Amino acid sequence: MLLKFVARRLLASVIVVLGVTAVTLILMDRTRGAYVPGIDLNPALRPEDIARLRANLGLDEPFYQWYLSWLWNVLHGDFGRSMIDGSPVITHILERLPNTLELTLTAIVLGILLSVPLGVIGALRRGSKSDHALTVFSVGGFAIPQFWLGLMLILVFSVTFQHLGWPWLPSGGVTSPFGGGDLGDRLLHLILPATVLSLFYLSLWSRFTRSSMLEVLSQDYVRTARAKGMSERRVVYLHGLRNALIPLVTLVGLELPGLVSGGLIVEVVFSWPGLGRLAFERALQYDYTTVMGVVFFTTLLVVAGNLLADILYAILDPRIRYA
Amino acid sequence: MSLEEDAKDPGFEQFEQFLEEWSRRGFLKRMGAMGAWFAFSGGVIELLEACGGGSSTAQAGKKGGHVVEGAFSDVRTFNSMLSSDTASNQVIGLMFDGLLNSKKNGDLVGALAQDLPKTSSDGLTYTFKLRPNLKWSDGQPLTADDVVFTYQLAYDPQYKDFASPRRGDLSKYIASVAAPDPQTVVITTTQVFAPFLASHGQYGILPKHVLGTLSGKDMNTADFNKAPTVANGAFKFVSWQSGQQVTLARNESYWAGPALLDQYIYKVLPDSTTVANQLKTGEIDIGPVDPAQFDSVKSSGNTNIAEFPVAIFDFFAYNLDPTKLGGKLFGQKEVRQALIYALDRQSWVQAIYFGHASVATSVEPPTSWAFKAKPQVVYTFDKAKANSLLDAAGWAKGADGIRAKDGLPLKFEMHTNAGNKQRESLLQVMQQSWKDIGVEATPKLIQFPQLVTEIVSTRDFDLFLVGFSWTQDPDESPLFHSRNTVPGGFNGADFKNADVDAALDGALATLDKSKRKELYGKFQDIMSDQVPAPILMFNVGIWATSKRVMNADFGTYNQFQNRPWMKDVWVTDGK
Repeated sequence: MLLKFVARRLLASVIVVLGVTAVTLILMDRTRGAYVPGIDLNPALRPEDIARLRANLGLDEPFYQWYLSWLWNVLHGDFGRSMIDGSPVITHILERLPNTLELTLTAIVLGILLSVPLGVIGALRRGSKSDHALTVFSVGGFAIPQFWLGLMLILVFSVTFQHLGWPWLPSGGVTSPFGGGDLGDRLLHLILPATVLSLFYLSLWSRFTRSSMLEVLSQDYVRTARAKGMSERRVVYLHGLRNALIPLVTLVGLELPGLVSGGLIVEVVFSWPGLGRLAFERALQYDYTTVMGVVFFTTLLVVAGNLLADILYAILDPRIRYA
Repeated sequence: MSLEEDAKDPGFEQFEQFLEEWSRRGFLKRMGAMGAWFAFSGGVIELLEACGGGSSTAQAGKKGGHVVEGAFSDVRTFNSMLSSDTASNQVIGLMFDGLLNSKKNGDLVGALAQDLPKTSSDGLTYTFKLRPNLKWSDGQPLTADDVVFTYQLAYDPQYKDFASPRRGDLSKYIASVAAPDPQTVVITTTQVFAPFLASHGQYGILPKHVLGTLSGKDMNTADFNKAPTVANGAFKFVSWQSGQQVTLARNESYWAGPALLDQYIYKVLPDSTTVANQLKTGEIDIGPVDPAQFDSVKSSGNTNIAEFPVAIFDFFAYNLDPTKLGGKLFGQKEVRQALIYALDRQSWVQAIYFGHASVATSVEPPTSWAFKAKPQVVYTFDKAKANSLLDAAGWAKGADGIRAKDGLPLKFEMHTNAGNKQRESLLQVMQQSWKDIGVEATPKLIQFPQLVTEIVSTRDFDLFLVGFSWTQDPDESPLFHSRNTVPGGFNGADFKNADVDAALDGALATLDKSKRKELYGKFQDIMSDQVPAPILMFNVGIWATSKRVMNADFGTYNQFQNRPWMKDVWVTDGK
C-alpha cells in the first residue's frame, strides 16, 4: 500500500518539478529574454559578435528548445555553466549548500527543541500567566519581520557592544575573513542569524504544539487513560504528546525546503553566503542557468520533504493508511 | 574622425556597464564603472611623474598585516579581457597591471610601460617601452609577447569565440599590435582617436605562457579566470570563496617593489547598511559609504573619511523623435527649458542626497578639464519663468489644470528602473514640481534590461531617467552625436544638432588640448541652450578607511580599478 502511494507521489513529483522549472523559465524569459550582462545591449560589440557569443551559450534557440536541452542535460547530471561567470552551476550550488545547511539546520533543530516543551507548558497551564507570556512571545516572534529583528540584533550585539568595549558578536559572514574558520569562530558567527531564523520556527511551532496538545488532551482516550488511573505524566507524554506531534511533523516537513531556501532574508541581512542569497542575486543579474539550477534543486527538496512527511505520518499514526 | 553609420565610440562600454551597476545597487555602488582616465600623448603632457606608484603623501610604513575591504558585488572573473563589471575590474587591478595606470587626478602614467608611449607624427602609432626585467609572480619573464597576446584576445579573428566585451572597440581601432623586440610594443591604430590610451591602454596584461595554448572558446571557461596562477601586479591570487571573499597575498616580484601588506581581502557584503555596520565594528577596514549612512559612520569615530567629486551624473532625457509622442511634446526647446526651471534642485541636495551632491550646471562633469561651470544658460529654480515660457510657447492651461497645445495635453510617462530608491524619489519630486506648472508626468518603474532596450533599441518612452558615469575624456559622442541615434546607439533621445556633431567630431580628431577645450566649451553652450537631456546632479565618492590603515589615497580616478597607491598601504598595528 505504502509502496503504491509512494509511487503515485513520485509520479506527481516529477510533474511538479517540470512545472516549477518551466514556469521559472517562462517568467525569466518574459522579463527580458536571456539577457547576458556584458554581452547583450553592449554597443561596443558588433551585432554579429553578440549573435555568435549568444549562440555559444545556446541562446540562439527559442526558450522552449533551450528548456528541453537544459532538461536533457540536467537529467544527465549537467546543470550547465553560469552565464555571469562561466563556472559550473553545480559548483556554485555545492559551494553554498553547506553554509545554508549550517544555518537552517541549526535554526530548525533549535526551533523543535524549544517549541515542543514551550507548547506543552502552554497547553498544560492554559490561561496561566506563563501561558499568556508564551502567547505574547510567539505572536511577537511571528509578527516581527526578520530583517528588522536582524538589523536590531546587529545594532545591539555587534555595533553597540563593540562601541562600549564589551565582548561583541560578528555582524555577518560565516567566518572571520582573516585567520578565522575554526569551530569557535563559526559558532560565533552563527549565533545571531540562527537566533533570528529559529525564532520564526519557534513561534510557529510552539503555538501549533500548544493547540494540538489541547485538542488531544480533550479526547476520549485521554479521559479513559485518566479514568484507568494512569499517572498524569504518562497520560501527557505517552498518549497526549505523541498524538499531538503528528501534525507538527507535517509542518516541519513543509519547512524542509526551507533548509535550502528558507533563510533568504536572514542570509542577506547577515551577509551569509548561502543558497538563497545565490538565487536572489543571480536572479537580479539574469543568470538563467544558475537560477534554473537552484530552482530545480530546491523543488526536488520540497517534493522530497513532503514525501518524507507523509511517510512519517503513516508511521506515527497507525490510523492513517494510504489507499 | 570619419562618420560611419555603425560608428562606435569608447565610453559605450562604460555607459552600459555603468547603467548595469547603477541599476541594482545602492548609491555608492554606482560610483563604480568609472572608466579609464584619459590624458594626452604627443607632446602636450607637461609633467610626467617618473614612477606610476605611490602618492606624494606616502609615509614609510611597516611591513606586515592585512586589510579587509567591504564591497557590494562579488567578482565574476579574474580575466582582464573578459571582465565588464566594477567588482572584477577592481580586484583584477590589484593583480594585473596594464601598460599604463592613472593618477588620482586622472593623468596617465607608465605602469608596465616605463612611460607614456611615443606617438607618431600622424597620431596613428604608439610605441611603448616596457620596464626592464619585468617578471610574472612565477618567475617567468614578462615580455612584449604577453602584451601582444593580451590585445590579440580582443581584436584578432582567431579568438573570435572569446567573449571579450572589448572586441568591438578594439577591432575597430586597432590595426596591429607588434613586438619588434621583447621590450617594445607598437600599437597601430586605424584612425586618430584622442581617447585611445585612456580607454584601451590600461587593460591588465595576461600571461601568454599560461593561456597561450587555449582556443578562444576554451578561454571563456578557463580555470585561470577563477583562480589565476600568476600575477604581475602588487598582489597575487590566494583564494576565492564565491559570495564571501577574495584573498590576495603580496607579490614579491612586483616591478614597483613589494607591497607592505601581507594580505588584501575583498569581502562581499549585501548592502550599504552592512558595509556601514562593519566599518563601525572594524570587521572591515575599507568601504564605500552611502550618503544616507555618512553621519552614522562618521560619528562612530573609527574611520577616516574621504569625499571627492566624481564623474557621475543623474540625468533624464526626452524622446525627441518627431514621429513619437515625446517629439510632439518636447520638440520646442522652450518646453524643455521650462521643465528645468520648474525643478528646485538645490532642495534635493539635502532631501535626496543627504547633502552629498551638487546641482549640475553643465553636461560635462566638474572633474573634467573641459568642464565649463557657467555655460550659455544656467538654470536655477524659477517657477514664474517656467510658466511664462510654457505660455509663450502656446501651451495653455485647460479646465483640468493641464496644459495643452492644439488639443494635445502635456501628459507623459517617466521611466526609470525599479529598485533604485534614489531615482524613484527623483521621479516623485519631478512629478510634483511639474504638476505645479500644469504638466502631468507619471512615473513608471521597469526592469533594468527593458529600460536599456528602450533607450538603445525600441525607443518607446517619453522620458527616461538614468545615471551615467563618464571617463576622464570629455567626449560625449555616444550620448549626443546624431550618428548614435541609430538602433544600438545610446543617443536614445534622438537628439540631432549639426553644431554639436561638428564640435564633438572636431574634438575627437585632434590631439591639441586647447583646441579640444574650446570645442567642448562650445558643445556645453549649445547643450545648455537645447537641453535635450538635462544633467540633474553631480555626485560624490565617499570612502571610509579604518584609522589603523595608512596611506589609502582614494581620489576621483583612483577609486576602483586604478589604485597605484595600494602597494604603499600599511596597518599601524601590524595585524
